Amino acid sequence: MSYSASAPRTLPLAIRLILGISTLCGIVASLMMFAAVLITCHMIFVRNVLNQSTVWQTEVVIYLMIAATLIGLSYVQKLRGHVGVDLLPTLLPQRMRRGLGIATLVVTAVMIAVMLYYGYDMWHFAWQRGWKSETVLAAPLWIPYLAIPVGFALFLLQLLADLWLSVTAFPMDAKGLPAIGLEMSEDY
Amino acid sequence: ETLKLSHQWADGDVRHQVAQMVADDVAAAGVDLEIQIFPNQTLFKAREQYTPLSRGQLDMTILPLSYAGGQQPAYNLTLMPGLVKNHDHGARLSASPFMEEIEKVMAGDDVITLVHGYLAGGFGSNKDCITNPDDVNGVTIRAAGKSFEQMLASAGASISSMASSEIYPALQTGVLDATNTSSESFVSYRLYEQLTCYTPAGDFALWFMYQPLMMNKTTFDSLSAEQQTALVEAGKKAEAFYLEQAKLGDQIAADAFSNAGVELAQMTEEDFNAWVALAKTTSYPAFVEEMPDDGQRLLDLALAVE
Amino acid sequence: MDPLALGGLVALFTVVVLFSGVPVAVGLLIVATGFLYVFDGPRSLQALPELFYGDLNSFALLSIPMFIIMGAAISSTRAGPDLYEALERWLTRVPGGLLVSNLGACALFAAMSGSSPATCAAIGKMGIPEMRKRGYPDEVAAGSIAAGGTLGILIPPSVTMIVYGIATETSIGRLFLAGVLPGILLVSLFIAWAIFDTWRRGAAGVALSGVTYSWREKFEILPRVIPFIVIIAGVLYALYGGIATPSETAAVGALLCIVVAVVVYKMVQPAALWTVLRDSTRESVMILFIIGAAGVFSFMLSSLFVTQSIAAWIADLDVNRWVLMGVINVFLLVAGFFLPPVAVILMSAPILLPIITAAGFDPYWFAVIVTINMEIGLITPPVGLNLYVINGIAPDISLKKILVGSMPFVLCMVLAIIILSAFPSIVTWLPDYLMGPEL
Ligand code: NA
Ligand code: NA
Repeated sequence: MSYSASAPRTLPLAIRLILGISTLCGIVASLMMFAAVLITCHMIFVRNVLNQSTVWQTEVVIYLMIAATLIGLSYVQKLRGHVGVDLLPTLLPQRMRRGLGIATLVVTAVMIAVMLYYGYDMWHFAWQRGWKSETVLAAPLWIPYLAIPVGFALFLLQLLADLWLSVTAFPMDAKGLPAIGLEMSEDY
Repeated sequence: ETLKLSHQWADGDVRHQVAQMVADDVAAAGVDLEIQIFPNQTLFKAREQYTPLSRGQLDMTILPLSYAGGQQPAYNLTLMPGLVKNHDHGARLSASPFMEEIEKVMAGDDVITLVHGYLAGGFGSNKDCITNPDDVNGVTIRAAGKSFEQMLASAGASISSMASSEIYPALQTGVLDATNTSSESFVSYRLYEQLTCYTPAGDFALWFMYQPLMMNKTTFDSLSAEQQTALVEAGKKAEAFYLEQAKLGDQIAADAFSNAGVELAQMTEEDFNAWVALAKTTSYPAFVEEMPDDGQRLLDLALAVE
Repeated sequence: MDPLALGGLVALFTVVVLFSGVPVAVGLLIVATGFLYVFDGPRSLQALPELFYGDLNSFALLSIPMFIIMGAAISSTRAGPDLYEALERWLTRVPGGLLVSNLGACALFAAMSGSSPATCAAIGKMGIPEMRKRGYPDEVAAGSIAAGGTLGILIPPSVTMIVYGIATETSIGRLFLAGVLPGILLVSLFIAWAIFDTWRRGAAGVALSGVTYSWREKFEILPRVIPFIVIIAGVLYALYGGIATPSETAAVGALLCIVVAVVVYKMVQPAALWTVLRDSTRESVMILFIIGAAGVFSFMLSSLFVTQSIAAWIADLDVNRWVLMGVINVFLLVAGFFLPPVAVILMSAPILLPIITAAGFDPYWFAVIVTINMEIGLITPPVGLNLYVINGIAPDISLKKILVGSMPFVLCMVLAIIILSAFPSIVTWLPDYLMGPEL
């Protein structure tokens, strides 16, 4: 895998902005995962040491994990971390590989747009009707549901940026996608 | 025409049997209607069934109505301590003006009831037997239903919320001291292997949960008159069976625990009244607070059933 | 349309869509959405996000990111090299000692990490360069680490086992215990092969390479293994000491590993901590996205009655149960070539489990068989997570060399499956002994 380290500086503002937002999403998602670690340990402490009730932690931790997954989608796309069967792309000649890469990006973007459309509908329904979780916490469900439209919207944004880069002949990686995975750590 | 029925229980469970009975009777009626049952959460997850039912993506389900208590606070009255005293009382409640009000709320979500039914449950403990509010002081317990959590917490219990599948290992390792759930779950999760004392649903029982078989109203209305009649008739027949099996289920659970050498405790009328007194100052006001416009009236309607 | 024919059509479309190179999760969503739209009508599309959300809405899933954080935290420190060095000092007199130390270190590290790539990275970062320096062929260096890393999902904790437990509603605690003895069996087979191979090639000179350690040096390094013992003991205490449920234990392990990394290994720079969180977020989000999408996919299969029809069809075939198991193994192996473990398990478990139990196989035994098949998949192209890791550590070793090097270990895994089929009690004895007979 080879990456072009100098390329992003020459990119248009909109693309740089999207890439920046995706990184920010990665940070937010990571912090949510870390918060889930701390809250779970807090729950164990409260139960075993303080001997008090633990009614909200489990629920909040689940919400954090779902939100981290959805918010993290765009960042993982930017890192090229969504695993796929890349046998065919690697076998194709350069030009066709780019073509296939563009085609898969379009199909992915359409699928995510469908999820976004119905995800917004789900969120809006819960918000309009004032649905709550059926627990003592009684969390308004539009809050955890919000992660669905927001996460898919940000993912779509990153896909559109990838698509733009592909169409404008940006350097390509072995899978036929624009080689922007700058933050790939060396051990993966 | 094929209707899809989703539920969360295994093939041997009474709720599956009720669904199967309705499906068999409707098929036997020869009205060109088939009910396809998806047991064991093979279609929708347990708590993700009510929304698709109300939006017409699912035709039928049988589930604890209180699962949807976050969408319709009125449903929380279907899992409220002390509201139902025994199975026959539950059957009277199902046919009361109170249930008519609940069905109005359901109609607003495009849902109708085909089979009414309550299931009872008890308490299991690894510390002292739980019959009275004093028994749960300082006990770490997993309760089924938020009204029960509120009541138990005010009695001094530490509430620990976790998935029902984690109850067994939690009791085994000592994360939990006690639990409260349905007679059916006490048996299907084999909790008698981990508990030292069991308080079954007997003459006086605190925990009753309304678990009707429901159908999407628009789908029902779109059926022919013969098909509708077949469904309603099958539902009536299944309802009688459900009530009988619910009573039997408490006995089966008590026997399972007693066969496993677990101590059995009985709740007396004084114990029951002590719990209800506690619920009146905790769960009931909390419910009314959640439903300020209509909660008190619905609660009074439920309490008015003899 | 007949559900079985529909199933064939789904399989065909799934293969075509996935081979286009779209992310696995997106591919599953596309196939599920397409079939639901055509055969179930537009009304089912509205349920898509609810299904996706519903499948992630489970506390048990929390242990996946937690066990991944655990492995990432500890693999970013010197702990892996320390472990491997300690083993090496004690094993210099064994033919292929360095190789054996690496495999042993992989097995021990696997007891702290739920994921295979993390195990591979932790030991390989130091192990591969060291083996090459000492004259081991590239094939052996890369292949052994690729294979040793796969132990991460067999030896508990294991992300794969968690996903299996959730998909089949089996006890995760019991699944973990079921993996212990097979894990020891497999690493013993690996080590036996390594010793035999070194001896066979007359490479004893390479293995010993004149380096010897005094007893003092041998004991000096032992304290550096203490953090491992602390972590493993801490997790076991949390799990079996009445402190935490199995799902919560993962968070204890994650915090413990982060604390050990910061306090013992002085990992205090924000950049280092960020690397840990970033790497675990990338792997977790990838897996959780597949879990959500696979939920939608299996809803489609169930809703169109494909799952039920296939199960009924196979039950009616009335073939010999071992023929059936052989066919299932080939299926899992082939699926593992192309798909990550989580996707294979989520897509096939709902169909396979009823068949397996009907044929009289134990679901916990089957979990181990599935996991070993998935281990093979991790080191076979085109989708092999461990291959990516090795490629990152040693980009100059060609894929072909890694494959040649890992082939003997793949054969060890096949042998392990055969041994476990002949003696299923290797799997079931420990969970039965510690947890009592199965529920
Ligand atoms: Na492991
Ligand atoms: Na593979």
